Amino acid sequence: MVKNPFEIRGLSMIKSVVSRINLVLFFISTSLLIVLLATVGCKKKSSGGDYGLKKSETLRVRIIGEPPTLDWHKSSDTTSSFIITNLMEGLVQFNYTGPEVTLSPALATSWESSEKAKVWTFQIREGVKWSDGEVFEPKHIVDGWERLLNPATASQYAYYLYGIKNAKAYNEGSLKDFSKVGLELKGNTLKVTLEKPMQFPFMLTHSSTFPVRTDIVNKYGDQWTEPQNIVTLGAYNLIKWEHDKALLATANPLFFDRPAKTKNVVFYVIQETQTAINLFDAGKIDAIRTLPPQDIPALKRRKEYIDYSILSTYYYGFNTSKAPVDNPLVRKAIIHAIDRSQIVKMMQGGQKPLSGWIPFGMFGYDPSVGLAFDPVRAKKLLQEAGYDESNPLPKIQLSFNTLDAHKKIAENVQAQLKENLGITLEIKNEEWKVYLETLKVNPTHMFRMAWVADYPDPNNFFEIQLSYGNNNRTKWKNKEYDKLIEDAVAIIADKPKRLEMYAKAHKILVNDDAPVFPIYTAVAQNLIADRVVSFPTNVMYEFRLKNTSVQ
Amino acid sequence: MNIAKLSFGQVFTLVLSGTILSAVVLNLANYEVPAGLMLAIGLELVIGLSVFAYLNNSVIYCLKRIVEAFITLLVIATFTFALLRLMPGGPFDEEKALPPEIKANIEKKYGLDKPPLTQYLNYLKGVATLEFGESYKYIGRSVGDIISESFPASFVLGLYAFVLSFVIGIPLGLFAASRHNTFWDNLAMGVSISGVALPNFLIGSVLIIIFSYWLKVLPPALWDSPIYYVLPVVTLGVRPAAFIARLTRSSVLDVIGSDYIRTAKSKGLSNFTVLYKHVLKNSLIPVLTYSGPLLAGILSGSFVIEILFAVPGIGKHLVQSVSNRDYPLILGLTLLYSVLLVVSNLIVDLLYSFFDPRISLA
Repeated sequence: MVKNPFEIRGLSMIKSVVSRINLVLFFISTSLLIVLLATVGCKKKSSGGDYGLKKSETLRVRIIGEPPTLDWHKSSDTTSSFIITNLMEGLVQFNYTGPEVTLSPALATSWESSEKAKVWTFQIREGVKWSDGEVFEPKHIVDGWERLLNPATASQYAYYLYGIKNAKAYNEGSLKDFSKVGLELKGNTLKVTLEKPMQFPFMLTHSSTFPVRTDIVNKYGDQWTEPQNIVTLGAYNLIKWEHDKALLATANPLFFDRPAKTKNVVFYVIQETQTAINLFDAGKIDAIRTLPPQDIPALKRRKEYIDYSILSTYYYGFNTSKAPVDNPLVRKAIIHAIDRSQIVKMMQGGQKPLSGWIPFGMFGYDPSVGLAFDPVRAKKLLQEAGYDESNPLPKIQLSFNTLDAHKKIAENVQAQLKENLGITLEIKNEEWKVYLETLKVNPTHMFRMAWVADYPDPNNFFEIQLSYGNNNRTKWKNKEYDKLIEDAVAIIADKPKRLEMYAKAHKILVNDDAPVFPIYTAVAQNLIADRVVSFPTNVMYEFRLKNTSVQ
Repeated sequence: MNIAKLSFGQVFTLVLSGTILSAVVLNLANYEVPAGLMLAIGLELVIGLSVFAYLNNSVIYCLKRIVEAFITLLVIATFTFALLRLMPGGPFDEEKALPPEIKANIEKKYGLDKPPLTQYLNYLKGVATLEFGESYKYIGRSVGDIISESFPASFVLGLYAFVLSFVIGIPLGLFAASRHNTFWDNLAMGVSISGVALPNFLIGSVLIIIFSYWLKVLPPALWDSPIYYVLPVVTLGVRPAAFIARLTRSSVLDVIGSDYIRTAKSKGLSNFTVLYKHVLKNSLIPVLTYSGPLLAGILSGSFVIEILFAVPGIGKHLVQSVSNRDYPLILGLTLLYSVLLVVSNLIVDLLYSFFDPRISLA
């Protein structure tokens, strides 16, 4: 065909089609196709963002990302543990009703220690059912612990049970026979023999020690946590999991305790906090658990805002093998030169300054221990170390992982050190994983760290700084400190004696040697909608929703 | 109705537009589009393009390009693999340090204890069989699952934004060119400059304020029924629309001065006919060039839009997988994006000859 050279072939094709075939016929046939597919092939998607649930029966909470896993023997992040602690129970649970956090029965009805806390005996609750109707048996606890300690599981929290006799050897692979691990099950009684005395029940609040149905795990492999496969026994059952989007849980009718107060919980995956706040304002979600520090001054004025101290600390560590901070006098001079209250005031979040190692709210907290702000003394100590105008302190570096809040604090410390001590602090930030690598290989003179309590006991904090502690990046070693901590953990009943030992260790750590510079006790900051009653706000930063109701 | 006299081209266009129209209507009526329908559309496109290539004697060219594509993908895969291993920080580094025995256990499970060359060969084997392995971060989820679960949302978002950008961009550019150097031209170009210059999270936030906070007619975020599509699609489509408007305008101004247009006008054709029938068709080449990479980029998810509107798409994974050092996912996503890019470029190159018969590929 001879075509007009500047006509586009495609358009002319469509044109000729339209002119040849009745346009109406085309649309009729397409519509028929659509109707056919709609009725026969496709299903209508659930409408609205609420899964068709009644708002009066549903609590909507925001989670900051997709849970990497709901397998409680493999999870290690707060989002996963938030959901898991609502789906499952362990032998014991936290009790927040008193001034100090204690333990209440859960799957264990009672427990006692003998042989000076080297042996613990638990009575296991009867009449508990898993979500698939099967009876819960004490052996499921032992199965769970075996799975946690089995090297093939490669669980990050296997060390939680290292207190049990031979558990470490089993996890390292040197012991192959699990029956040699210190567990004895007789009927409804579980007897646990430890390597040495310790507060063992505290470890059992952690989700990694929860029981498991190995038959389900073996049947479905890594997909066993999908909603159609998973079997749990907590207050809520997992009904739906739309990856990267949301999870839906409904109250477990077979729960052994009081039924959950709110029938449905939807966990929405919303990474950006401002987006979560937009949805909060539109009435689409009821609770936001983490808020960006830079927005706190504005958010604080809202009536839905709440903040409360949690058992977590923010501190700077010193690399005690790197000059000039290998000299304790220099470290102490630096700490004395910084006014913590200035930092806390800048954060505006209600954080409490901390000069000791144990956070506010925990047994062993002591506001009088540690090095207070004293610029005069700081200068004196620096001179004692041999530094003055003619021999100035060489430049030291502070590193932290890239985050606005960390940068603000670092800049404040940098300014204070310049003003109060006349020394130069160089600050640098690195991307998270790069930062962790630096900490492992060659930490800078000072580096930013934080610690969130795994259980509400000072041992969890003190053991960080043991000379052989995995999390001790300061390279500080002190045999006297080690002995005090190792001995104190074995004392269960004699609280005053324990406190005395911890007081000694505390002084060595933050007064005498000062390999760390504690800054503040952290706070949790939430936005909770008015319609929510009794949202869990506790020092352990644990969010069990079974007692939360909505209006 | 002379059904019998239809040519292949006409039947093909009919079937293709029919299936695409059904898919769009179903999607907007909040039905799940069956995978079979999507597959049929894909098949129709492949058949259409192959027949077109055959008719144009560019089959050899096509095959050459496909072989080049495979080589390109292999090089990309190798580079990505190498760069990942060179990055400091591994997938299993956490703030609370892992006891060394446990870390060793985990690394053994994922084959990270083997020498790099073995890991590379295993990886290549996996790519060839389309088995990208399991994510290091999301336990139990295969890379294939993650991609197939997240990609549809990004695809729908990107496709609608892509279409929207043409629907707005081309008429706007054409309009501006036809009113060249008047107030309307300056206004249109002013609007499109803002579309390019303003960050899309700013445009998105303003739209959220207007439509979710003040007027309360649209939801501020999440991704469910089609009403949730509106704000993200518009926000994502604004910048490409602005680009296309500018490209169209400058190309049209270029074409409008040429001889054959003067011939058409002197023949007595109306301004409208000249503009929309002759000028427009010939100005679309630059737009076509732009739309290749645009399609690939817009389909693989816009990170900012997806975060702002909490859309469960693939953009988030593109960024986070790197922070997580999730090697299998990073490699799977890089290859996905590369494939999209390579295919889009190939289609665009083939379409050049379709739009301008003066261009021959063979």
